[in-house]
Amino acid sequence: MQLRQLTDIPCGLRFMIDDLEIHSGYARRLLLDSEMCKDRNVLEHEYSVLSAFYDAVSSSENRISVDTLMFKLCNLKDLAGTLRSLRNKSVLNEIELFEVKYLAILSAEIRSVMRELHLDEYVHIPDLAEVVSLLDPDGLRIASFYIYDSYSDRLKYLRGIMKNSETVDEDVFNEIAEIEDEIRGHLSASLQQYTDALHDAQKALAIIDLNIAKARQMTKMGLCFPSVEDDKTWYEGMFNPEVKAILNKNNKDYQAVDICLGKMPTIITGANMGGKTVVIKTLALCQFLFQFAMGIPSKRAGIMLQNDVFCCFTDEQSVEKGLSSFAAEMHNIDAIIKASRKESRFLALVDEPARTTNPTEGTALVSALVKLLQDKDLSLVIVTHYNIKTFNSRCLRVTGFENGKMNYRLVEAKEGDVPHEALNIAEALGVDEEWIADAKMLLDDEYNGNTINKI
Amino acid sequence: MPFIDELMKYGSCSIVGMEKNTGKTECLNYVLRRLPLDRIKVAVSSIGIDGETTDQVTHTAKPEIMLRESMYFATSEKHYLMRKVLSELLEVGNESTSLGYVVTAKALSNGKVLLSGPSSGSGLKRWMDSMKKYDVDLIIVDGALSRMSLASPAISESMILSTGAALSANIMNLVQKTAFMVEMINLDRTSDDNVLRFNDIMTGVWAVDDEGRLRDMHAASSLSPEFDTGDMQHCRTLFVSGALTDAFLNRLRRNMVFKGVELVVRDFTKIFVSPLTYRMFTGGGNRLCVMQKSKLIAVTVNPTSPNGIVLDSEKLCDKLSEAINLPVYDLKKNLCN
Repeated sequence: MQLRQLTDIPCGLRFMIDDLEIHSGYARRLLLDSEMCKDRNVLEHEYSVLSAFYDAVSSSENRISVDTLMFKLCNLKDLAGTLRSLRNKSVLNEIELFEVKYLAILSAEIRSVMRELHLDEYVHIPDLAEVVSLLDPDGLRIASFYIYDSYSDRLKYLRGIMKNSETVDEDVFNEIAEIEDEIRGHLSASLQQYTDALHDAQKALAIIDLNIAKARQMTKMGLCFPSVEDDKTWYEGMFNPEVKAILNKNNKDYQAVDICLGKMPTIITGANMGGKTVVIKTLALCQFLFQFAMGIPSKRAGIMLQNDVFCCFTDEQSVEKGLSSFAAEMHNIDAIIKASRKESRFLALVDEPARTTNPTEGTALVSALVKLLQDKDLSLVIVTHYNIKTFNSRCLRVTGFENGKMNYRLVEAKEGDVPHEALNIAEALGVDEEWIADAKMLLDDEYNGNTINKI
Repeated sequence: MPFIDELMKYGSCSIVGMEKNTGKTECLNYVLRRLPLDRIKVAVSSIGIDGETTDQVTHTAKPEIMLRESMYFATSEKHYLMRKVLSELLEVGNESTSLGYVVTAKALSNGKVLLSGPSSGSGLKRWMDSMKKYDVDLIIVDGALSRMSLASPAISESMILSTGAALSANIMNLVQKTAFMVEMINLDRTSDDNVLRFNDIMTGVWAVDDEGRLRDMHAASSLSPEFDTGDMQHCRTLFVSGALTDAFLNRLRRNMVFKGVELVVRDFTKIFVSPLTYRMFTGGGNRLCVMQKSKLIAVTVNPTSPNGIVLDSEKLCDKLSEAINLPVYDLKKNLCN
């Protein structure tokens, strides 16, 4: 799964990607085109590279070198068209030759800064010195280009004639053009052997760009490096950066939460406005960030690699597909069940399943879902308000209102421990009093065995 | 040498034609040929396609842009590869045009080139800012048909206006049209207080009351059919953030609420009013002012038009010069003399 296919999932991933200060369009494209990492060794290697960049970026004595690096990376261009011409053995035009030279000089400059920062062993930039000398016959080491006089004595002689004559001699002009074409032909032929090196250099520079952006985001947002776990996922002080940014803007604090997921299903219940949806979305966000080797919004974290992530969030509607919210949700959950029969090791996050239907059937649907998936090889998290049968699963509950303030901490709960705080919260929100009073009366009646029809 | 010394007092100059074939490119070449390159560094660009060998619209012969050694220039990839000048490629930009990316180069010999620089005002402004790193002293921008906005003082400090028989075959009419344009370019600048007050306002129509407070007239722009004038009789300054139209001026006049007001617009490129409406507006004791003003250095004329009309150059120059109180040059004739 490519990153660009995931950014529309409403979990805050787009916020994190947009926040990355990437300096070149090429690097951004490389990131969006990258595949979700499922290999432990690759991921651990990527995190070790990021960790080296993190150390370099956070040390104040490296500030100037890092700034230089970022400034230079702004000039990284996508040479796809030029490299294709080289592969097809076509003759490059002057602009393409300029781009090749520019990349070669840029790589050399960035190599030397990387050496200063002791990062050169983490990202290998191929040596393109021979490309530079081909395109810089006068040894000027300036990133500009034309068909230099020193490529041909005849060219130099003819250009001299052109310069000193008042009128343009067509024959001289044409001969110059012919010699220039010939030189471009020679240069292009000699450059062909460096096609792969040029491609690798371009990619290496983009990887440097991305790692600096990720490392700087980590220091800015206070993100952590996770450990790679085998059989559980846990977070200490997990937060959602997008929600946190909104709260901070309104001078409010974000209460981070701790959570641990094992192989058995996790069921989260709690009062309305208790932050359950934020928790389940942040779980999705962290899993994605982890598998794209980015910083994790948590104080400490250990995360299990998953082969896939299924998100079924309530604000996902398929109006375009002509499905009602219930139908869309049923299809999504059905996909999870089907996958559980074929795939192994995946994460399924379901926010308030069947919430749009009647509570009796809804409860039955959700209970059956937990029963069906409890023994399968997946990490399942369900948020619900229904009093469901929990079978072999772990129940967590948002602590809820304490001394007039919401406590978002998650605590262990027993089956049937579903809070009944909707009326209190609605009251606290300041909605119409008569409405709440009538609702309370009806509720009392029902507890006393009367039916609603009586009033 | 007419107007070259004046031109060098400014960091940038745009050459704007009132119509196609009014001799803009001719004027550019005239200027380029005369700049003292031993003393100053010069860069040239155009907005959109320019310097075609034949005119894209009327298919008449067009003069090419003649570069001199050491000049910097911006053009598109396609036109760069077609150039007839020895030049060193310095930069390939991120600004894309229909003819590829905009490239910046330095001429290493004299020669001809087709100019097709950044095609938007903001792109042009970015390119001009980027020329600072080469210590360029003067940037000259060639305009294109109906791209008056690049003459905006927000982009270039000074301007040269080209007019000619292509605009009108009747000398009187030509003089009137050109004189009105010059009048708009030379409108007075409003007070510094007003500039500060209006600088960050991007939308709407506003009035300023006696105490200097801004009052929103609740109109999205001067195109809105209605605006709110409740208890604003005492306001003496109005500000239109976007384009100023005939309809707005007429409504303002008929409305009878405002008398003797100063109407402020950003710069002359925002004014789209006919001479008649403008005269009626000012006749009622009102004034039109701008926030930014560019220096009009000269007016050049081309007495020939693509459909074969040739006007009397001397008479045209005299009449126009009399009407606008500025020297007027027929560059073709100047070249011959």
